[in-house]
Amino acid sequence: MRSARTSRKPAVTQHDVILFSVNKTTFAIAAGAVDEIRNLDGLTPFQPSFAARLMKVKHTLVRENKDPDQTYFVVDSAAHLKLKSSTPGRLMVLRGVKAAVLVDAIDRMTQIAAVHPLPRAFSGDEHDWYRGLAVVDGRVIPVVNEHSFLSRGEVTVLNAQKQARAQGVGA
Amino acid sequence: MSARTQRFVLFPLGKKRFALPAAEVSELSRPDELQTFPHTTHLLAGVLMRRGKIVPVLDVAQIVIGPNAPQRRFYLIANRRFERDVEWTAIPVTGECELTSAEVIAPTGKLPNYVTGLLSLDDEIVEVIDLNRLAATEAA
Repeated sequence: MRSARTSRKPAVTQHDVILFSVNKTTFAIAAGAVDEIRNLDGLTPFQPSFAARLMKVKHTLVRENKDPDQTYFVVDSAAHLKLKSSTPGRLMVLRGVKAAVLVDAIDRMTQIAAVHPLPRAFSGDEHDWYRGLAVVDGRVIPVVNEHSFLSRGEVTVLNAQKQARAQGVGA
Repeated sequence: MSARTQRFVLFPLGKKRFALPAAEVSELSRPDELQTFPHTTHLLAGVLMRRGKIVPVLDVAQIVIGPNAPQRRFYLIANRRFERDVEWTAIPVTGECELTSAEVIAPTGKLPNYVTGLLSLDDEIVEVIDLNRLAATEAA
């Protein structure tokens, strides 16, 4: 019998993360990836015209007091993670991508010592969803990849749909 | 022990036993808390924390026995190879495991491709399983 050998070491630096929950599961996201946490006021319903992958986008958000010329597309995190629908209570506006994420609740901010690579046995969509796994108080928590919620290309498509509708063109 | 004799770990799943080469097995673990999070990989039930490592749990019983497999009580910790890496994988089993030496017989008949050989023991034929092929079977 022998021990497993692996070259896939966790990144050993302290990371500030925000813990949040969706459908009774706790996730982490890099604190630097979140621009603002807010309630659900000010959301405008939005339904993408095509592409099943974009059906997770449910609303748009314009922050009149901060960057009124920017539209953020609001992703239902339960739909993104293929979970049963949940009851969102908070919105995380992301930094660096014009997306915001509906989550059930924000737990707290904490530090994690390492982001462990996802084990190789995992071979599905989770490789896109997660940067890796963290251990917080003995619990294994996925660290989400903020860029997986919406790609720049998807934001471009959504912006085009939004502008077409504003101009009265069926999109 | 003849040159063709190899060592295997026999593990029970319900009324049947299956085998893994002993070199691929690290240890038998008592029940640990299974932790789950969303993913889309077939057969993976979640992860365990074991000796400071995050260990994926591969529930092979769904394939080799079917959906009505009895409750699994222990975890067999196996070394699963991924190209150059070797990674621990926990396999839920229903009882105690046994180390044995036996000659491998080439599989015959219409056995699934994850069965790489057969062991003829006193009163049973035990299938030798290839974990990677078994995982791929479900994904296909």
